[in-house]
Amino acid sequence: MKVIKLISISILFQSLFALTGIELAQIVDDRESPIDMKSNMSMFLTNKNGKTRTSSIRSYSKDGNKKQILWFLAPADDKGVAYLKIEHEDKNDDMKLWLPNFKKVRRISSRKKSESFMGSDMSYEDMTSRNMDEYTYSISGEDIINNVDCYILESIPNGIKTEYSKHNSWITKDTHLAVKEESFDKNGELLKSKSIIYQQIKKYHIMKELHVKNVQRNHQTVLKFDNIEVDSGIKDNIFHEKNLKRMPK
Amino acid sequence: MKSWLSQQVLTHPKRLIIVNVLFTILFAYGLKWLVIDDNFMNMLPKDIESRRVWEEVEAEFGASEMMFIAFGHSGKSIYHQESFKSVWDLTELIENSPYVDEVISISTMNRMDSEDGFMEIDDLQPNRNLSTEAIQDIKIYLDNNPDMKARVIGKSGDFMSMVVRPKDGNEVVLFTNSVLAITDSLLTDYEVHYAGNSYITGVVPEIVQNDVSKLMGIGIIIMVIMLLANLRNVSAVAMVMLIIIMSMVSMLGSMGWIFYLTGIEYFHFSMMNTSMPIILLTIANSDSVHFITRFFREVRKKKDVNEAVTKSLNALFLPIFLTSLTTAVAFMTLISSPIKHMMGYGIAIAFGILWAWILSLTILPSLIVLKKWNLNSAALSQSSYLERWIEKLGQKNLMVPKRVLTFGALLVFIVSFGLWKVNVEVNVIKFFKPGNPIRESSEFIDRELTGSMSLLFKTTGDMKDPHVLNDMLLIQKKAESFPQSNTSISIADVIKSMHKVVMDDDPKYETIPETRGKVNNLFTMYSMSGDPDDFNSLVDYNYETGLITSLLNSISTNESVEMVTELESFIEDEVTSDLEIKISGMVVFLRDFVDLVVRSSFISIGLSIIIIFIIAWIFFGSVRWGLLSVIPLVSAIILNFGLMGHFEVHLSHMTALLTSIIIGVGVDFAIHYIAEFRRNSRRGYSIDEVSIKTTEDVGYPILLDVASNMGFAALLFSALIPLNYMGGLMVFAMISTSLGTLTLLATIVEIFKKHLYNK
Repeated sequence: MKVIKLISISILFQSLFALTGIELAQIVDDRESPIDMKSNMSMFLTNKNGKTRTSSIRSYSKDGNKKQILWFLAPADDKGVAYLKIEHEDKNDDMKLWLPNFKKVRRISSRKKSESFMGSDMSYEDMTSRNMDEYTYSISGEDIINNVDCYILESIPNGIKTEYSKHNSWITKDTHLAVKEESFDKNGELLKSKSIIYQQIKKYHIMKELHVKNVQRNHQTVLKFDNIEVDSGIKDNIFHEKNLKRMPK
Repeated sequence: MKSWLSQQVLTHPKRLIIVNVLFTILFAYGLKWLVIDDNFMNMLPKDIESRRVWEEVEAEFGASEMMFIAFGHSGKSIYHQESFKSVWDLTELIENSPYVDEVISISTMNRMDSEDGFMEIDDLQPNRNLSTEAIQDIKIYLDNNPDMKARVIGKSGDFMSMVVRPKDGNEVVLFTNSVLAITDSLLTDYEVHYAGNSYITGVVPEIVQNDVSKLMGIGIIIMVIMLLANLRNVSAVAMVMLIIIMSMVSMLGSMGWIFYLTGIEYFHFSMMNTSMPIILLTIANSDSVHFITRFFREVRKKKDVNEAVTKSLNALFLPIFLTSLTTAVAFMTLISSPIKHMMGYGIAIAFGILWAWILSLTILPSLIVLKKWNLNSAALSQSSYLERWIEKLGQKNLMVPKRVLTFGALLVFIVSFGLWKVNVEVNVIKFFKPGNPIRESSEFIDRELTGSMSLLFKTTGDMKDPHVLNDMLLIQKKAESFPQSNTSISIADVIKSMHKVVMDDDPKYETIPETRGKVNNLFTMYSMSGDPDDFNSLVDYNYETGLITSLLNSISTNESVEMVTELESFIEDEVTSDLEIKISGMVVFLRDFVDLVVRSSFISIGLSIIIIFIIAWIFFGSVRWGLLSVIPLVSAIILNFGLMGHFEVHLSHMTALLTSIIIGVGVDFAIHYIAEFRRNSRRGYSIDEVSIKTTEDVGYPILLDVASNMGFAALLFSALIPLNYMGGLMVFAMISTSLGTLTLLATIVEIFKKHLYNK
């Protein structure tokens, strides 16, 4: 009888204090991130026939990636090409590209958020953080990924323009990091599968490797980050057109 | 063997019938696995250059044979809101089909704009519901980009078109049916046209099925009428029909069994196989007709059924075995054909012939033995009209043998001049009659849109090298210079457009940039804002292989041969970069297929004649008889192909089968004649009466065989032109081989009878 009472109290306690989907999403969203970041990024693209392309890029970013400047270091064909992006809340993002062989800066745009970023499996939508109020969240289950207990957070868009119908994110219970995500297309079919490896730098958990597979195109992208520096005090004027032409020392 | 068979027939007729019926059911069970397929590409040998290149192109760039759909209202502008809604919905539904890889339509195309140094890549049709202004904007954009417009809007501006690429080249029927189901449900208010090899491959199996059912019905009706008129006995005709049906289902079932057991796709039932049932119908008829007529003759003399059956079996065992063997061998020579589907055709039909032979010598006499015959009926007591006529013909013919022989030889000689005029046509679309919906639709797409026949240039080299890209443009210009060509596209076109856009839309920069670095910058720029899949059908992932696709009107085989030859010599002379170019596509297949069809015909004729000569030599024990057995069929081949040349009947992979059919059927008559001549000369008929007696004995069954084989005329009602030709030519072939036997062979034998009597 005593045991039954204890179990009943425990269930009542758990249900009273269980995490909801929105609460978990809020915790993930509130996780502290660096003010700015410098890194070297290696991008490996593999198509369905197993052919690969490799790029090496120097990246500076600030304000949670809202400002970003990239300089292509390799392959040799792309060396000197540079890209600048500044996101705006109230108007279209500014995207500029330095084409060294034409000696021209060209503004580029894609109205389609679903378009790929630099030929990878990441779309511009994937690169943009999700607004909390644009999704309905729920915890659909629990799982263990690499011996770490995770919640499965389901995010369903609330009538916004998106290429997805649903995301399932595996969030670690202890550090609240998204270590895996599956995104589904409008027909409810699995479109992309992502897995993320983190490393701790200072007080932050910083992405070290990102693996994305577009299961419908059978195309894969691997992003690896190194030489990461955080909160190094990148000035706002770095994110300017003139810096596209040469990488600052 | 003969006596054992006679004993079995007379003592255990029911057992023989049951055993054969059980075997027939077993063979017929194979129908379960019979696959109807008509992928033209599968007929080409895998080691042929154009097939190899085509497979490389498909592996790298996806299926290259597509389905074209055009919809609209003649004379009414397509630029209105409803059309854009329809193309949007149609594209979305077709894209969701599991058999579809890609749809190219207004609603999936991108536009590239440049304004104030701002380059934008966006959907050409951004959403389903468009305002009048938005539609006008699309119209202006397309008018400024004529190459793009040609792919989605008809020349008169009243039709929209889309191109659908199948996911898997081996599921074309499912692909076509899935797309047709969508268009049928959605485009009810429009005039709709379809074209493309995928579409034709997808719809042909149904046409083939319908055609076979129709032709079979007509063939059987003609045959029954002819047999009834001459045999004048319903039971006898029913017995003949039973043998035919049993051998036919066994033949088709054997195709299913062989495919089930071996997985070899040559045993699929394709457009080419449409003629198989009708041919077996007539060949299987031959054995039964010979047996029944011989039985009637014997029973008229002996007035005893069992004795007549035994006599008939003794007289016909060897000739029917020989005719079946030689006919089967004639078809088996198709194994050597470079068109591998003919191998399946030959083996299956040879099996049907041999099974018909077994049935004719087992079930047929067993049924005759079991039946209660009225020996006083007209059929069994009096000769038929045809029988009396042939006796007169034989007598007159053999009175003036030299004159008849000279006339026949002269006729063959004159007609033989047509051999040099025989033209080859293997373009499937030309197989359909003018007015046929498939041909009409295809011609509409040719006339109003881009055309549906593809010419592919697989280009290997550095796809970022300006020299290479300029050479690709040079090839496109040459391909487009042919009057049958409508448009072409390659990565070089996209580079030109991007160059113009990046240079502030200045038309003078619609060229390939002068340096490799600039070309690379353009690719990088596109990757920043466009979909990487956009170039999938134009260039490979590592920019090492490109594809130029040229679209043309459906052209004749002769035109394709000339075009490909001219293009190959142009590439040889004019391309100066390190570009390796291989040509493929439907146009090149046609060129290569011509060679295969001609080779196939020659190999089949040569091999059949040699093998038949050897068989006749062995079984008749004399080189002379061997030579004589091939005379009627050689003359029939010359007459048939000569007439094809004179009357502009094209040789195709379907009419090429004629050679085996003529040989197979033609040799039967010669063997029956020779076997009977030898039999009569040994039975004591004098040297002066042996030829007349032989003509009397075999003339009637031969002519009855020909008359009932007028079932070939059923092919005249086919929806496919080559089958019509085949029908007409087969009727002529039957007549020419039978008369060849009863005139040329009979008169030669008469002239040289001193050397042949008792040999």
